[in-house]
Amino acid sequence: MADRSDVDLLGDLVARERRLVSAYEAALRRGVIDASLGETLLSHERAHVSALERTLAGRGNPTATVPAPELTAALRDRRSFALYALKLEGETIAAYVDGVPRIGDAKLRQPLGSIMVCGGAHVVALKDSLGRFLVN
Amino acid sequence: MAPYVTRREALGGAAAALVLASCGGGYPPPASGPRAGSGVALLGSLLALERASFAAYGVCLDVLTGEARAEVHAIRAQERAHAAGLERAIEDLGGTPPPGRGAAEYRRTFPRLRTAEDALRFAEDLEERQVRAYLEALTDFPAVELRLEAAGICADEANHLGAVRVLQGLPAAQGPFVTGAL
Repeated sequence: MADRSDVDLLGDLVARERRLVSAYEAALRRGVIDASLGETLLSHERAHVSALERTLAGRGNPTATVPAPELTAALRDRRSFALYALKLEGETIAAYVDGVPRIGDAKLRQPLGSIMVCGGAHVVALKDSLGRFLVN
Repeated sequence: MAPYVTRREALGGAAAALVLASCGGGYPPPASGPRAGSGVALLGSLLALERASFAAYGVCLDVLTGEARAEVHAIRAQERAHAAGLERAIEDLGGTPPPGRGAAEYRRTFPRLRTAEDALRFAEDLEERQVRAYLEALTDFPAVELRLEAAGICADEANHLGAVRVLQGLPAAQGPFVTGAL
């Protein structure tokens, strides 16, 4: 992977977190996620977005988030949404795994890793909601 | 026989802290081989932690049944794979992985686990410690390749931590940040 600036990497991560916020908001509106689980996951994602936006402030313009076209189809029932959210969370974790080690500002890596760990827990929660084996 | 400790002492973290502190760190870089500052000493510490966790999960399996046993068995297999990856990383840097302890030696240092609840609480503490160690490694490793290795393993440990919490009937995630916010 070519070297990317910290701003580019952070911009990518915040865009992914915003996509998760949009997904959980939509799922809660449509009632396709357990309300308690959805509210918990949404509050975590909002906290992640807020933290990343604060970090990005003054470093450059945040990346615009494009709504994912797959979200509409995923909102038809709980199982479809859980599978969609599982994929989105997994892709976001992969972006952290690949991006955080490349962040030049060393003091940002641990807190960004902390967000990644929370994403790992979200994957477990979603698997549990699907009745799946929890360990990857 | 393992020393008896109260359930809270054993499983609230104190015993695990003691056990893992004695297993998981302080390895100096070898006298020959990789240069100082290469990250090999930190790799050795993480390797010791993984080996201790692998052994600890073996003790947990003694008291677990059903779904929890299957999940912990899978976690344990991943800890072994992590240890193997860390050994390779040390060798790639020109080092020699430190010798591990025997299973019996580890077992003597672990608290006695009497119930599945004991085992899962012990496992949660193990995973929290591993997550913290790998998050610190993300800051401390000098080379991006080693940080990538640490991040990948950290993601697995995050999955383990969430799983052992769910198996206890707890929410998978305690909060939006595991160790401090941005």
